[in-house]
Amino acid sequence: MTDTFRNQVAELLNNDYTFGGLYATKLSGSVKAVFISPNGALKILECQVQSGEAPSIADLVPSNWDEREAHDLYQISFNGHSPLRPLVEHDPISDHWTVAVKGSDVYQIAVGPIHAGIIESGHFRFHVIGDRILFLDTQLFYKYRGLEIAAENKTLHEGKRYVERMCMGCSVANALAYVQACEEIIGYIPSAKLRILRTVLLELERLWNHLNDIAAICAGVGMSLGNQIFLVLSERIRRLNFSLTGHRYLSGTIDIGEIKPVLTADNIENIRSELESVRLRAKEAWRELIFNSSFAARLEGVGVVDTAQIRRLGAVGPAARAAGLKEDFRAHSTKLDYENFEAVIPENPKGDVRSRLEQRYLEFLQSTEIIFRLIRKTDILTDEETACEPKPLGIGITESARGRTLCIVEASEGRIERLHMRTGSYANWSAVAYAAVGNLLPDFPLINKSFELCYACSDR
Amino acid sequence: MIVLIRRLQNFRKEHRTEGPGNRQSLAIRHCDAGSCNGCEHELNLLSSPYHDIQRFGLSLVSSPRHADILLVSGSVTSGMREPLLAAHSAMPEPKKVIALGNCAIGEGLLGNSELTGLGVSQLLPVDAAIPGCPPTPEKIVSAILSLAKKS
Ligand code: SF4
Repeated sequence: MTDTFRNQVAELLNNDYTFGGLYATKLSGSVKAVFISPNGALKILECQVQSGEAPSIADLVPSNWDEREAHDLYQISFNGHSPLRPLVEHDPISDHWTVAVKGSDVYQIAVGPIHAGIIESGHFRFHVIGDRILFLDTQLFYKYRGLEIAAENKTLHEGKRYVERMCMGCSVANALAYVQACEEIIGYIPSAKLRILRTVLLELERLWNHLNDIAAICAGVGMSLGNQIFLVLSERIRRLNFSLTGHRYLSGTIDIGEIKPVLTADNIENIRSELESVRLRAKEAWRELIFNSSFAARLEGVGVVDTAQIRRLGAVGPAARAAGLKEDFRAHSTKLDYENFEAVIPENPKGDVRSRLEQRYLEFLQSTEIIFRLIRKTDILTDEETACEPKPLGIGITESARGRTLCIVEASEGRIERLHMRTGSYANWSAVAYAAVGNLLPDFPLINKSFELCYACSDR
Repeated sequence: MIVLIRRLQNFRKEHRTEGPGNRQSLAIRHCDAGSCNGCEHELNLLSSPYHDIQRFGLSLVSSPRHADILLVSGSVTSGMREPLLAAHSAMPEPKKVIALGNCAIGEGLLGNSELTGLGVSQLLPVDAAIPGCPPTPEKIVSAILSLAKKS
């Protein structure tokens, strides 16, 4: 049993599948692992839990966090995963959850859960000598709200509220992944018009996030001018969102099988002119930023995560692409409208803060192009929807501003039996910890901001 | 750079709203007790050129020891209960607590529950509440200013 599961995993990896996530279910008493083929097809492997035990696959795929979570929440021991450190549970004895870093002059610095700025809550334990970081242990899940469990036994429609409560920064990406999973369950295929609308909303979310992230990186080096300019641009997109949908973060715009009248003729003109103007300003500000040598000097070679490490840690999204990995789930989003999509990456991707900054800018430009293309298309399309076979288990995947986000819904008679959400932030936290190693402690806020992950999305 | 600085100055001039002047000051410490990050995204804009709260004498400080107001966002999770109380007790008297957003008020989507989190008032005396999901930066600024006027 144990061997078959591990062999199946190994075989998929041989066929170039990537690991998408692992979760446990109480009802079937099993552990399930999701894999994604190079062309975006999905495969689920299942392994029965026997007397509370399942084989670990953490040596084969980046399932470290997934297994620790399943242990804390579903009391499953993973054979071969040792030590199986707590993740969601907080052990007061720090030796139980930190990695021992010993040597003369090595000491620990504890930061958080409450941080010095306006930041979400989470705890970092730095192992340092002087100002040099040797290792970083993160302890998140202070904001664990049990939303997946709270959603159980709710109807598919009610479940969306729990998903939306997970994270405002990724509200479209998360809700869309959930809704796509639900639509697989009920056997609904969205119309061409609905696909366009959803794609526009997802890209608007990326726009304000990416502009905000550029502002955050500027703030991380005390470049207040860049910070203020890009905050203004990000705010302009949020105001545009409000004028289109009545919500600055587009919350409540995605629903199962439902189309909201967002793209009317007037709106389309608003979107076009506002985006053109924001784009112009962003280009102008970007030129000033990248030719500023003292700004660049703070970013280059800082917080490096190279391609091999990105793969080992399972990092996704802009962080992975900034290291040269051309992977973007938008290329496989058949339920959205990403015609001929190709991921963009910097000319010289180094996986450092500089590359992650440039990655945001390039994607910002790309997203505006995508929206321009889509809003030209809307009036020629019908909203004819089609049906397909209903299923008991649905999977939805979207590419959020932080990376591939996977949502799994298992339901029976229209009620949720298991909801699992694995967001881009969840996948990337290990990369943040890795990126900090060898760097200076005062550079950590900058490194952290260059990933700009949500704690809310991971903790749920 | 000079072009950008000039642009920013013009922007500030265009968006200047009437403020009470800097005759008062209030130091605010934010604490995320279990939010969805929406309230934080709005809070972060308070120091953007659109709002620039420092002109009202308001500042967001990095330690509860320096703060007059504890601004709490999110429903209080079991993990954040202790840190929240510790931050509150570290503040000097007189001190005020503001619940920011529907979750902190206890009227969020999921209400008050042991699993998904409690409203702040279950743990601390709340002096003002700012409803919204999330409350806009404009609402946050005006709520803080009116609390300042009252006290
Ligand atoms: S009030 Fe709304 S925006 Fe604020 S934490 Fe709650 S759900 Fe998020």
